[in-house]
Amino acid sequence: MIEVVLNDRLGKKVRVKCNDDDTMGDLKKLVAAQTGTREWYPIYKDHITLKDYEIHDGMGQLYYN
Amino acid sequence: MANRTDPAAKSIRGTNPQNLVEKILRSKIYQNTYWKEQCFGLTAETLVDKAMELDHLGGTYGGNRKPTPFMCLVMKMLQIQPEKEIVIEFIKNEDYKYVRVLGAFYLRLTGTDVDVYRYLEPLYNDYRKLRRKLADGQFTLTHVDEVIDELLTKDYSCDIALPRVKRRWNLESLGSLEPRRSALEEDFEEEEEKEDNDQPADELEDRAYEKVNPSQNRDRDYDRDYDRDYDRDYERERGRGRDRDRDRDRDRDRERDRDRYRLREEKDYGREREGRERDRRDRDRDRGRRRSRSRSRSRSKDRKDYDGGDYRKRHARSSASPRRHGDGHEDDEPKKKKEKKEKKEKKDDGTDHPDPEIAEANKLRAALGLKPLKV
Repeated sequence: MIEVVLNDRLGKKVRVKCNDDDTMGDLKKLVAAQTGTREWYPIYKDHITLKDYEIHDGMGQLYYN
Repeated sequence: MANRTDPAAKSIRGTNPQNLVEKILRSKIYQNTYWKEQCFGLTAETLVDKAMELDHLGGTYGGNRKPTPFMCLVMKMLQIQPEKEIVIEFIKNEDYKYVRVLGAFYLRLTGTDVDVYRYLEPLYNDYRKLRRKLADGQFTLTHVDEVIDELLTKDYSCDIALPRVKRRWNLESLGSLEPRRSALEEDFEEEEEKEDNDQPADELEDRAYEKVNPSQNRDRDYDRDYDRDYDRDYERERGRGRDRDRDRDRDRDRERDRDRYRLREEKDYGREREGRERDRRDRDRDRGRRRSRSRSRSRSKDRKDYDGGDYRKRHARSSASPRRHGDGHEDDEPKKKKEKKEKKEKKDDGTDHPDPEIAEANKLRAALGLKPLKV
């Protein structure tokens, strides 16, 4: 289980727990449950897993708008 | 230059009126094309013309948080600070609903508490439809009275943090405001009298609701189910009659129920309780008792599951009489089996994880159709 940190540069930070073999689509759903759907930068493909994108525990700070 | 507040404008709540809109949103508005092209050099009169052209309201939308023209005009009003009479004219006008809402929004941001209630509450009687742009860019349907309710009860609307206004009952107790009179008051008073006389109050009330809004009938089923979460259902409810009842009872029943309910849930104090009161006025006391009983019942059920049936076992063992003992056993077996099954199902889901955060996360994942977290 890893914990991914997402930052909306307006001050909203969301920590989401997920598996490293979850896909980006799953992660987006989990984030949407917490903060609402947004556009993400960089633009990630939905079917690729977090592991493949090398998003690790804690470190990976993803930005969304 | 176009972005500076009118030097003659007074400060609102101790700050530049434009600061009511937070910095980031303000910058987004200044960069917006509508602002730059249409809102340059607007005065109170020309602003009216622009407001008449509005066809939707909303905050920001899209990935870039683009502001709607409604937002830009709100900002413009904050910049030029039209006089109170003009704002009231905006609100009073009947022809252009978006002008009305614009005026109401501006007054909510800049007016005193008493003014806010005094001028916005008559708008509860306006049922007209409005188009609202959501954050993802899509439009949704709403109504004038719903928007006004949002302005008066919520802290945040159209991506602007609304300044705090005192609660209505606060102002009433100070004597600044009179208790609220709903436009449907006479209708409901008649219903009340009828209710006091006959017993089958259910039907009467339901019929009354049918009169007001037929789509609320399905809410009756929610009301009767005690173990469900009332609050969620209530917030989902969008009937106008319902809203009005809530407001009406907020004032009426406030004295009666203040002590009873304030202790229970501070947050829901203003809205949900009173609305519930209105539905089952005379049966409240019983309902209240029943409600708490059912709540404690469900709580004890959880305890049962958690202990794996020990709760029941303990109970059965403690009773001395042989007959009781026998019954206890019989009740035990099927219940234990059921609990074991439930526990097994839960384990697959992962929602019974000892760490509450993980359990919660797993619940969410299960709801989304994802596998539980691998710890």
